Amino acid sequence: MNPAVHLDSITKRFPGVVANDDVDLVVERGSVHALLGENGAGKTTLMNVLYGLYEPTEGTVRIDGAPQEFDSPRDAIDAGIGMIHQHFMLVDPMTVWENVVLGNEPTTWGGLRVDADAARESVRELSARYGFDVDPDARIEDISVGVQQRVEILKALYRGADILILDEPTAVLTPQEVEDLYAVFEELTDQGKTIIFISHKLGEALRAADDVTVLRDGINVGTVSTDEVTREDLAEMMVGREVLMEPAADPREPGERVLSVSNLHAEDDRGVEAVSDVSFEIRAGEIFGIAGVDGNGQSQLVETITGLREATAGSVRYLGEPMDDVSRRERIDRGMAYVPEDRQERGLVMSYELTQNGILGSQHDAPFASSGRIDWKASRDHADRVIEAYDVRPPDREVTAESLSGGNQQKFIVGREFERDPDLVVATHPTRGVDIGSTEFIHDRLLELRAEGKAVLLVSSKLDEVQGLSDRLAVMHEGAFSGVVDPETVTEEELGLLMAGESPDDESVETARVYEAAGDGPHGGPAADEDDDRRNGPAADEEVDA
Amino acid sequence: MRNPLNEVHVPVVDDLIEDDYVRSLALAGIALAAFLTTLGIGGLLFPDSIAGDLAGIVFNAGTATATARLAAPIVLAALGGIFAEKSGVINIGLEGLLIISAFVSVYATSLVGAGNTVLGLPAIVVGFLAGIAASAALAGVFGVVCIEFKADQIIAGLAVWLIALGLAPFMSTVFFGGVNTPNLGVSVGWSYSAAMVVVATAASWWTLNHTAFGKHLRAAGENPKALDTVGVSVSRVRHAGVLLSGVLSGVGGSALALSIGQFVGSGETMVQGKGFIAIVAYLFGNYNPIGAFGAGVLFAGLDAMQVRLQQLGYAVPDTLVQTIPYVVVIVVLALVGRTRLPEAAGEHYETED
Repeated sequence: MNPAVHLDSITKRFPGVVANDDVDLVVERGSVHALLGENGAGKTTLMNVLYGLYEPTEGTVRIDGAPQEFDSPRDAIDAGIGMIHQHFMLVDPMTVWENVVLGNEPTTWGGLRVDADAARESVRELSARYGFDVDPDARIEDISVGVQQRVEILKALYRGADILILDEPTAVLTPQEVEDLYAVFEELTDQGKTIIFISHKLGEALRAADDVTVLRDGINVGTVSTDEVTREDLAEMMVGREVLMEPAADPREPGERVLSVSNLHAEDDRGVEAVSDVSFEIRAGEIFGIAGVDGNGQSQLVETITGLREATAGSVRYLGEPMDDVSRRERIDRGMAYVPEDRQERGLVMSYELTQNGILGSQHDAPFASSGRIDWKASRDHADRVIEAYDVRPPDREVTAESLSGGNQQKFIVGREFERDPDLVVATHPTRGVDIGSTEFIHDRLLELRAEGKAVLLVSSKLDEVQGLSDRLAVMHEGAFSGVVDPETVTEEELGLLMAGESPDDESVETARVYEAAGDGPHGGPAADEDDDRRNGPAADEEVDA
Repeated sequence: MRNPLNEVHVPVVDDLIEDDYVRSLALAGIALAAFLTTLGIGGLLFPDSIAGDLAGIVFNAGTATATARLAAPIVLAALGGIFAEKSGVINIGLEGLLIISAFVSVYATSLVGAGNTVLGLPAIVVGFLAGIAASAALAGVFGVVCIEFKADQIIAGLAVWLIALGLAPFMSTVFFGGVNTPNLGVSVGWSYSAAMVVVATAASWWTLNHTAFGKHLRAAGENPKALDTVGVSVSRVRHAGVLLSGVLSGVGGSALALSIGQFVGSGETMVQGKGFIAIVAYLFGNYNPIGAFGAGVLFAGLDAMQVRLQQLGYAVPDTLVQTIPYVVVIVVLALVGRTRLPEAAGEHYETED
């Protein structure tokens, strides 16, 4: 039987760049195939060739053995290929069914009326067949990202896709939604569909795929079956050298107290309490990690600390001083660095060049400004330093932020913030969307900052990341810490339970070295103390004067 | 921003209408109807009071016909503006489209000669078709400039207005020896204007809400990439939206000029900002053709009343009345605050190849 997809010696050249160099890819019908590689390895280009967005410079695309020439995605769709882009192609204010049938609307009355009932019925039928729980009449803007992704898959299926291409499908999903997506993969392949997904995450390729093809610098490094390969093998194939999988954090004694948060409460934008009674502190030379499923108050907690959101109760003290009336700018000036969660919204001005982005937050300060004028020479040098040190590609300070890939945008932000010479680094998802090589580098930098005696607050939904780097690890659930644990001894199961808001047996979780802030905030009543005791166990007796 | 009308609850209305914005408009409509009823009763009881005069105006057939005549250009241009803006192209050149079609319709009618026919079509129909064609052609140029050459839509829209504002009186001077054309002695009855407005409103509503084209139009304005990736050409949909704005404005401009059989080109021309009021009308109606119709009729009605009041000797400055639409839109935006622009309106779209 012919393979569902056979890309035969595909070469794709852009002016000055060879994105794909003589790449072969064979995908069997009914299998899940992962296309693995670092940012810029040519994964997306290859899939765009398959989807008809690019014409290959050389080589042939074969679907079920028959050579095809795609001039546009329309041709690819007609050949049974569907693509689910990383950024969903959905019209937010329209309903699920309107999105699913967009461009192929069933009509009645000689084309004068869209047959809404028929469209709804098709959506329901497809949902039922593949076990999706999707309401055809829900508006896209009202449903979760995981469900939106399913609508994208429905869109492809509605158009008769047999081969589904997913570009970084897990990038925007919570761990639970990722599991659900894997279940969807199984359901789809059981019914004869073929899935190709692009990823730069080893774990997910191993977990979800039957076969993995690794691309590096536009070349197919090899196709392997996930049964006979280890994480380390794959990492080496991707990076081309051996990779240290576990970041090594040597234990060290923390110093001065840098940040202390006591009995903090905050609300989200809708006015619902998102952070309830959180207390912790971070010392110099310490990485304090916060794990948890996205949306459990981590964002609001971080925003309250960095001065982007007002606390409704409780206090934040930084370097011994209360931060209640300290502006965001003042906090930056006092050495608080911040890697925001949403890099495009808060981290960068997308239409600015890297030179300008590189001085954001410090634009009013020496060495970038003197007597009200910006020193562009110093700014350019600074951008070059960040680009060089953090391996931002393309290495050109004159390109705008929007022309960088997501991973490179992230590297640039991380570089800018880490080079501020901060006392406290608040890093939220610092390696989200970043390839392994750069992830390793960012992890090393975090550990260097720690060694230099900086305090680090690390929020991440990647468990291995927070667990590997943190000295102490808090797990957040519904706005409160469900536990603060020692990342060395805690198991993934225990973390999983804490993330779901359940406490594992007290004895099985050894509490970390805890330096809990004394409960002398405005709400530091007995209830709070009791709470602290339960959370921190016997180690909480090391009192700190606030 | 809180909408105070959300605090007002009327049982039946609450049950029928879910959308807050539409509900607010409905409540405002009910309030207006109640006011008019009171006015009518007041006028009947005290015919000599101001209320009596006002009632006389509001319930006067002359006011009604004047309203129909004045509403045609506003509502039709507003409907056109909805099509353009829903597709992602903000057309603020509606005023220019009304001006050019007003002049060309009169010129074409005069070429045929009132009372003559061409190919069996009466002069006035030829005038209409010519006015529509001129407006559509100008809109087509605007579309090419904005969509193919990626010009700034606001600047290009202003250019459309300024070109028409200069060109129409100039051509009038060339062909008729003055900025105002002579009166051709033909006129389109108010009932035709009213019929055109009603039919166009209903057809627009249907097209936007129930046809595949309407869905594509909306997608082109909200997330053009989504439309592109399912194989529908975004630029084609946007051209269609802009051309429709030209056609509908052309009907409106022609109806305005041919209702009195003359083009007046002095000052702001006879269109007098109706194209801009049309923009206000469709924003007020939240891109809903029926809302735009209501707003257009309201603005036209106020204008007609103002004229009648002056005839009765009340010194109501027309400039004050003309500010009403703009004041209304500020109040609406401040209180209701929910006129939602299409996400990608004003943005250029480039396909990826």
